[in-house]
Amino acid sequence: MKLKKVKALAVVAALSIALTGCAAGASNTAGTMLDKLGANEKSLTLLGWPGYAEDGSNDPKVDWVTPFEKETGCQVTFKPYGTSDEALSLFKTGQYDAIAASGDATLRLIAGGSVQPLNTKLIPSYTGVYSFLKNRNWNTVDGKTYGVPHGYGANLLMYNTKVVTPAPTSWSVVFDGASKYKGKVTAYDSPIYIADAALYLMKHQPALGIKNPYALDDKQLAAAVTLLKAQRANVGEYWSDYLKSIQSFETGNSVVGTTWQVIKNSMSAKATVDAILPTEGATGWSDSWMIASNAKHVNCAYQWLSYIDTPKANAAATEYFGEAPVTSDACQYASAGFCDTYHAGDANYAAQIWYWTTPISKCLDGRTDVKCTDYSAWTKAWQDIKG
Amino acid sequence: MTSNSSVAGAAIAVTPARRVSSYLYNHAKLRLRLLIAAPVFWLGLVYIASLLMLLITAFWSIDEFTGNTKVIWNFDNVTSLFTDALYSTVTLRTIGIALGVTVVDILLALPIAFFMSKVAGPKVRNILAISVLLPLWASYLVKAYAWRSVLSNKGVLQWILEPLGLNTPGYSLFGAAITLGYMWLPYVILPIFGGLEKVPGNLLEASSDLGAKTFTTIRRVILPIILPSIIAGSIFAFSLTLGDYITINIVGGANQMLGNLIYTNVGTANNLPMAAALALIPIAIMFVYLGSVRRTGALNNL
Amino acid sequence: MAISIRGVSKKFGDFTAVDQLNLEIGSGEFFSMLGPSGSGKTTVLRLIAGFDLPTAGTISLDGEDVTNKAPFDRNVNTVFQDYALFPHLNVIENVEYGLRVRKVGREERRARALAALEKVHLADFAERKPAQLSGGQRQRVALARAIVVEPKILLLDEPLGALDLKLRESMQIELKELQRDLGITFVFVTHDQDEALTLSDRIAIFNQGKIEQIGTPHELYEKPATEFVARFVGTANVFTAAQSQNLFGVNKKTMIRPEQIELGATGQEATVMESIYLGSSIRFILKLADTQVIAEVSASDENAKTYRRNSTVKVNMSKTDLVELD
Ligand SMILES: Nc1ncnc2c1ncn2[C@@H]1O[C@H](COP(=O)(O)OP(=O)(O)O)[C@@H](O)[C@H]1O
Ligand SMILES: [Mg+2]
Repeated sequence: MKLKKVKALAVVAALSIALTGCAAGASNTAGTMLDKLGANEKSLTLLGWPGYAEDGSNDPKVDWVTPFEKETGCQVTFKPYGTSDEALSLFKTGQYDAIAASGDATLRLIAGGSVQPLNTKLIPSYTGVYSFLKNRNWNTVDGKTYGVPHGYGANLLMYNTKVVTPAPTSWSVVFDGASKYKGKVTAYDSPIYIADAALYLMKHQPALGIKNPYALDDKQLAAAVTLLKAQRANVGEYWSDYLKSIQSFETGNSVVGTTWQVIKNSMSAKATVDAILPTEGATGWSDSWMIASNAKHVNCAYQWLSYIDTPKANAAATEYFGEAPVTSDACQYASAGFCDTYHAGDANYAAQIWYWTTPISKCLDGRTDVKCTDYSAWTKAWQDIKG
Repeated sequence: MTSNSSVAGAAIAVTPARRVSSYLYNHAKLRLRLLIAAPVFWLGLVYIASLLMLLITAFWSIDEFTGNTKVIWNFDNVTSLFTDALYSTVTLRTIGIALGVTVVDILLALPIAFFMSKVAGPKVRNILAISVLLPLWASYLVKAYAWRSVLSNKGVLQWILEPLGLNTPGYSLFGAAITLGYMWLPYVILPIFGGLEKVPGNLLEASSDLGAKTFTTIRRVILPIILPSIIAGSIFAFSLTLGDYITINIVGGANQMLGNLIYTNVGTANNLPMAAALALIPIAIMFVYLGSVRRTGALNNL
Repeated sequence: MAISIRGVSKKFGDFTAVDQLNLEIGSGEFFSMLGPSGSGKTTVLRLIAGFDLPTAGTISLDGEDVTNKAPFDRNVNTVFQDYALFPHLNVIENVEYGLRVRKVGREERRARALAALEKVHLADFAERKPAQLSGGQRQRVALARAIVVEPKILLLDEPLGALDLKLRESMQIELKELQRDLGITFVFVTHDQDEALTLSDRIAIFNQGKIEQIGTPHELYEKPATEFVARFVGTANVFTAAQSQNLFGVNKKTMIRPEQIELGATGQEATVMESIYLGSSIRFILKLADTQVIAEVSASDENAKTYRRNSTVKVNMSKTDLVELD
C-alpha cells in the first residue's frame, strides 16, 4: 500500500511530463479479437484489487499464483490498487496486461478503448461460470464480451462491538444516527460512495423516487449530497487504502463504517469488530478480468483469465477476499459454509446487491424524461462533500 | 593497446581525443557551454516547457465519459476557481495550514539553530546537527505513517496526554499540521543555522557592550541579519506544505487540501484540465510570496 | 580609581590565561597593556567589559563592584580589534545604535551620532554600509560608535592593528587627541611597543597572564624591573650576574641601553662584529671579552664612520647607567 502511495506521488510529480502523453493519447479502440493462442510469453503484469493475486508473500498459506506460474511458465507481477479511479489512471500507463476491474471502471475501460474483446472459446473455464454473471452490462457491450468474472460481493458495515451498541442492523448508524459516533465514523473515499447514500435514501425516503442508486437525477443527487455532507461532520477519516482502515479500527480511531470482508478477515484477533450486511442491502461489486488492448503478454493474459475461473483457484481467491465465487464448482474447494455465507450462485440474492456501475447521463434505471448525473458530476459532488 | 605503448603514445601521439581536449582547453567559453548544455536543456525544455504545457492544459476540457483530454479552448476551469466556493474554502484552508506550519517551524527552528550555532560546544553541536539531519534519511511515507501511529487513539501522544487530562489531536487538520511541521523542520533549521553561522559572535558582544539587553540584541541585530535565512526556510516550509496531499491523507482525517483536489482531478476524475487549473493556485501563491520576499535577498540564501 | 582589578584570575579549562592580576587605573588615564601575543591582554579587556567573567577576584569600576554584571550594565565601551560593525546598518545607524537602545529620541540621536562622526572625520560617509568603507574608515566608525554613548572608560583592543604603518601613525595622533578632548579613561591593548610608548600615560607589561611591571613609558624604559621588560621595551644589553661581576664588579643581573654606551678614546677594548645603519643612528654589535654588546651612536657623530668591521674600538659604559634587574 505504501508502494501505491509512492506511485501516486510519482503520478502527480510527473504530472507535467505525463501531460503530453495524456493529451496526445488518442483512444485506440482495438476491435480485434484473438483467434487462437500462441506460446506463453513467460511474463504477465496484473493490476487488481488487493488480495486478487496472492503469491504467498503476504501469507505463505495464501497462494494461487505460484501454481499458475509453474503450470504456464508465466511469471506474474501484481500491483494492487485502492479505488477504481486509481485503477483507471494506472491502467492508462499501458504497463499492464490485464486488470481486475469493478463495474464502475469496466465501461470506462471499454469506452476508452483500453481493453480488447475476448474470445471466450479460448477460456475453457468460462463455461462453468454462473450464467447470471455472463453477458451483463458491465462486462459485455454490443454483444462482445470484454471481461470474465472474478467474484462478487457486498460493501459491508463494520462496527466496533464494544463501542457501537446496540449492534446496528441498518446503514442509519452511519447516516441519520452518525452523530452518536462523531469523529469515529469512516467511509469509502470515492465518488462511487454516493451510491451508498442513494441506496439508503431509496429505502428511507421513497418520495425521492430513487430506483437505482447509480441513476440519480439532479434532485436525487442533491439529496444524497445533503445526506453525505451531514455525515461528513461525523466522519473521522475516509479510507481508500484498506491497510489504513484496518489500523483505524484497531486503534479505535474508527468505530463504524463501510468495509470489505477482506478487511474484517485481516484484523487482528484482539479487535472487537463485526461486519454485517444491513437490512437495506448494500452496494457491491462484480469484478471482471479484462485484457489490455495493447497487452504485451496476451497469451499469458488469456491463461490467467482461464486459470482464475477454474474452481480451485477461484475458490482460493474469492474466499481470501471475502466474496462469492463465480462457479458452483468452487464451493467444494472452499471451507465449509463459505458458499452459503456469500450466497454463491443465489441469483436472487445477487440481485439485491447494487453492483458498482459508472453513472452516466442516460439514466441506468430506464428513465428517459430526465438526464441523470454522470460520473464527473459525482466526482465534483464528492469533492464538495469532503469540502 | 598495452600499457607501455599507451604511456609512450600519450606523450606524443595526437589522437582525436587529445585534439578535442586541447581544442576545448583553448576555448573556455565553448567548454563552459558544453558543460551547462545538459542542465540548460533539462531546465529550459523539459522543466519549463512541461510547466507551460500544464498551464495551457488548464484551458482545455475533457471527454466526460472516457476521461480523455480534448483540445477545446475555454475558460470554464479557471473561472470556476473563483466562482466555486469549494476551491476558495480549500485554498484558504491550505494557506492557513501552510502559514501555521511555517510560523511554528520558524519559532521552533530559531532557538534550535541559535543553540547549535552560538551556545553548544563542538560535540553537542555535532550531535544536534546529526539529529536534525537524520530524519531526512527516512522516507517521507515512513514518517507520515509513524505519525499516524503516534497520533492514533492508542498512540504515544494519547499515552502522554491522557494523565494531563488531554487527548491526542487524532487525525485532523491539527494532526496534519503537527506532522507537516515535523517533516519540514530540518529544511527551516538548516538555512537559519547557516545564517547564524555567518553572524560573527563579536556582533552580539558589541551590541551588549553598547547597552542592549539580550532580547534587544536578538531583535535589532540577529533577526535583521538572518532574516533572509528565515525567509529561505519559510519558502521551504510554505511551499512544501502548499503542495502536500499525502500527509493530509494519512493523518489529516477527512480533510482535504489543494493537493488532494489536484490529485483527485488527476486520479479520480481523470480531469487533467481541472487539475491544471487548480495547480495554478499554488503557483500563483508562490509567485506572490517569492515576489514579495525577493527584495529581502532571501533568494540568495536558498 | 576608574578601574580596580583585585586578585583576578581567568582559567579556560586547565589553562590559566590571567593569573592573580592586580591593577589600578586612574580616571582620565591613557593606559596601555603591552605584551606579546597570547599574554592575556585581550582576556583582561574582556573581563573589564564583562564579556567573560573572572574565575576569581573582583573588578570595580568607579568604586562599584561589577564583577558579575552583564556588559550592558557597565559604563564601559569597547572598540573591537576587527571593529564588529553591524553589517545590516549603515554608518550613522551603527553609531546611533547605543543611543537607540537607550531610547534616546530620534532627533537627538541623529545629532549626537553626527557629532561623533565629525569627531572622527567621517560625517560624509553617514549613509554608507560598513562593507563600502576602507579599513581605516571602519575603525573610525567603531570609535564613533563607542564614544557616542559617552562612556567613562573606553577599551580599545589593538584598534590600529589592521592598519598600514602610515595610517596607523596618523590614527595614533588622532586617538591621543580624542582622549584628551574627551577626558575619559582609555585602556589600550597593543603588542607594538612604539605605539604604547608614544600614546600612554602608563603601561602594564604582560607576560604569560601576569603583569611584569607597571609604569610610565619613561620608567619602563629607564628602569625596567625584569629582563623581560628590558628586552620587550626597547633594545637592551642584559648581563648575567657573572658577566656583570666581570665588567662592573656588580654581582647581579644588570642591563644597559645601547645608546648609553659611549664609543671613543677611553674604556675597554672591543671588536666590531657588525655595523647597521639605521638612518638617524648606527648600531654596532661588539664583542667585549666574551660578551656581546649592542651600542648605538648618533649618525652625526663623525667618528662613528671610522668604526669598521673587525676594527677595535674603546667602549665606555658608565656604572650609573647600569640598571639592576630582578
Ligand atoms: N575562549 C578561550 N578558550 C580557551 N583559551 C582561550 C580563550 N580565550 C583566550 N584563550 C587563551 O588565553 C591566552 C591569552 O589570550 P589573549 O588574552 O587573547 O591574549 P592576547 O590578547 O594577549 O594576545 C591565549 O593562550 C589564548 O589561547
Ligand atoms: Mg588580543
